[in-house]
Amino acid sequence: MKSLYSIKFIFRIISLIIFTTFVYAGIISAAEPVKTPAGTQKTAPAAKETQPKEKVSPLLDPNDPKSILYLDTKGKLAALAGAVLPKDRYGLVDWAKAVKDKVISPRPSLDPKEEEMPAMDMNVVIEAKSDFVNDVVYPHYMHTWWLKCEVCHPAIFVPAKGQNNMTMSAIVEGKFCGRCHGKVAFPLADCNRCHTQPKKAAKK
Amino acid sequence: MLSIAHSAKLGDIVFDDKAASLKKAGVGPAVFPHGKHEDIYKCDDCHPKIFKDKRGANDVTMQKNMSGEFCGNIECHNSPKAFPLYQCKKCHTEKKK
Repeated sequence: MKSLYSIKFIFRIISLIIFTTFVYAGIISAAEPVKTPAGTQKTAPAAKETQPKEKVSPLLDPNDPKSILYLDTKGKLAALAGAVLPKDRYGLVDWAKAVKDKVISPRPSLDPKEEEMPAMDMNVVIEAKSDFVNDVVYPHYMHTWWLKCEVCHPAIFVPAKGQNNMTMSAIVEGKFCGRCHGKVAFPLADCNRCHTQPKKAAKK
Repeated sequence: MLSIAHSAKLGDIVFDDKAASLKKAGVGPAVFPHGKHEDIYKCDDCHPKIFKDKRGANDVTMQKNMSGEFCGNIECHNSPKAFPLYQCKKCHTEKKK
């Protein structure tokens, strides 16, 4: 009998702990919106959005969690609807395709006085060191849509062909292409997006 | 028969053909821990459709892995289920020759 009592006692303690945690959690969740009055305005429509009835512009929908939020030129919060942006096979935004498809049209600079530099249409073939891996065709073109020369040269890449001793190991460690790819640009796992040009048949 | 096959785990398989290419790429041969994979998968998950079950019978190259064959099968190291192919040193663990 004694053991039965002790089991009951343990159950009581457990239920008490569970009860108190629920109460405590309830207080916190109730208190949260009070703590951040600015946040309540945003959270309220976000809860509504589970109902798909509300129709919004395909381009601007800051409440859609798939939207990409950004500050416009006036510093106001704006959004690009995730649904209209092209995606790669990882579900990440394919920014280059977004420009090609004219979904977005990036400004040359945040400073309106700055002159627009024309994009540089020059491909560089980077031979893969391995005999069995396709060579890389690096397009300056799409890179210069967003970046000016000094972003990469000479700090990341020496501006001379064959002078950068690139290896995938170094890139994975964050050097060369790895400075951006895998971070702000498409991931390194997407091998064949860069390794496009087959080695010449003779080499095989 | 099966139980015997399972009790004796295969050890590491070293992919050391293509030595010249590996040297140029600056990595050591890939070491495939067969035993580790046996813990997770059944034989017929990989054999014979992804890998012929004979040593040296699979001409594995990184390009083929990158294109969805062998280790880079779309269910394996070309998916979020396993570490990605670009983590070179996870497989190319052997000391450079």
